[in-house]
Amino acid sequence: MKILTTVKKVVDVELNIHVKEGAIVEDGLQYVINAWDENAVEASVQLKEKHGAETTLVSIGGGDNAEIIRKCYAMGIDNGMHIEDPALAKADSAVFAKVLQKVFEKGGYDLVITGKQAQDTDSGQTGIILAEYLGLPCVSNVVAIEAVDEKRLKVSRLGDAGTEIVELALPAVVTVTDSINEPRLPGMRGLMMAKKKTIQSMDLAALGLSADDIKAVGPKSEVVAFMATKARKGGEKFEGDATQITAKVVQLLASEAKVL
Amino acid sequence: MAKILVVADIKQGALKASTTELLSKAKAIGAQTAVVAIGHQITGLVPNLVNAGSDTQYIADDPGLELFGAGPWAACIVDAAKQAGATMIWFGFSESGKAAAPRVAARLNAACATDITDVVLEGDQIQIVRPAIANKVIQRVKVNTPQLVAVVRAAAFEAAPGISGTENVVRLAAPAPDLKAVVKQLVSDASGDIDLAEADIVISVGRGAKDQAGITLVKELADDLKAAFGSSRAMVDAGLMPHHKQVGQTGKIVAPTLYIAIGISGAIQHLAGMSGSKVILAVNKDPEAPIFNVADYGIVGDLFEVVPLLREQIKKVRG
Repeated sequence: MKILTTVKKVVDVELNIHVKEGAIVEDGLQYVINAWDENAVEASVQLKEKHGAETTLVSIGGGDNAEIIRKCYAMGIDNGMHIEDPALAKADSAVFAKVLQKVFEKGGYDLVITGKQAQDTDSGQTGIILAEYLGLPCVSNVVAIEAVDEKRLKVSRLGDAGTEIVELALPAVVTVTDSINEPRLPGMRGLMMAKKKTIQSMDLAALGLSADDIKAVGPKSEVVAFMATKARKGGEKFEGDATQITAKVVQLLASEAKVL
Repeated sequence: MAKILVVADIKQGALKASTTELLSKAKAIGAQTAVVAIGHQITGLVPNLVNAGSDTQYIADDPGLELFGAGPWAACIVDAAKQAGATMIWFGFSESGKAAAPRVAARLNAACATDITDVVLEGDQIQIVRPAIANKVIQRVKVNTPQLVAVVRAAAFEAAPGISGTENVVRLAAPAPDLKAVVKQLVSDASGDIDLAEADIVISVGRGAKDQAGITLVKELADDLKAAFGSSRAMVDAGLMPHHKQVGQTGKIVAPTLYIAIGISGAIQHLAGMSGSKVILAVNKDPEAPIFNVADYGIVGDLFEVVPLLREQIKKVRG
């Protein structure tokens, strides 16, 4: 089996994000691997360990992605590809999907695993649109993947009415949530080995796409301004005798907040 | 003129409030409204769809649509969108919507936006507003295509009082089944539960509750308040709470009138999923827990001591 995994470099959401004059203040930001993509990498490596597979990852944009790609190598990914091009500056999900379509067609994969969304946009579209462009089946929001045989997977998806057990014919696209696994921490040896591996860097031309090919797809939408979220402020915090403070808080919920 | 097609949110045979909320917003911005309802044995919902504010009802009622499948769903919605000449297609906030919307957009060559909280029309130009980066920023997004497919965040729009529509039913042909992604089984442990997305009060339990006994204790408070019962990720990962109860970015995004977090420290993905609540009460042993940074009221204490007291006090004030 040949598995393609996508990895995006995103802003670290654990840190504070500041907005000034409609833009995010770059100063002080840090960039990390998208957490849901890390679950996708782990899912790929687990399938490889269990059934044998060649695992490839592709990362689009983000500038210097070597550190992130090497971390994935250390987790067990075999090949890494980084695609960077000025024409991708305003890429939306449709554009990313177009690029991934080309990667898929060139490489001939059996399975694509992506994170269910990227932490910077929280859009959750790219994997699903990729499947549409490729005419492949897709299951999103997946919490378990099992191989039935060479041609089929059994995946569990969290749906509105419960957990849906879906039989999926390969080739296919799967997007995963963080409930699917706990990504491994790469060991020293893995990290050393990863340093020796090469990363295939490409622009769109090398992939066989022109700037016009990209323009034909999108961006179909673009962010015109960022605003700060109206931050919630912590209110009153009560400490002390449990009976007293509980009575006080319940009284406030009823009379001040009027929600009881 | 904007023509908005709303995808009806149907759960266990009932039409959910989000459908009325979306149709109300559509009418408020001066659009023509249509609704598409997909499922099996749902034709009886037509009066509800009309009362929710739709002026055309596209109905796909077929045994093959009993269980959700994003492919067949997308086919029905694209069919209805084309017949309606829809400029926008709106989904209520649901896993089905999140799965089907990008497919519909790809097939219509339209822009897609998830998690939107507002829509602004300037002539034919559509702009939307949505949170991003785990709710830490708000984006204003310009749509470059004539059509937009959008998933609307829970509780973003309000139902207009006295809204109504007109009955004009159009039956849709059943779509071809998706033979490459076949739903074999639905494991449902959600039936009979109060819906997290719609409840006025949501109570979630976290790691502080430790085990099944702790969960039962918190659940009793939820039952007293007729609240929906949710969970932090930690309890789901520990196998103590089912997946579908998880509140947060992975899981359900909720915005109730009152959210009560019991024994939850407040990981960023959890906060991003509940900080739209009107009032938040947090109970936690650790005075430094991040949940207190978003809570309007905080009780620092042992939940095993505090929760029974809360039940007792709430019973008193509610009489």
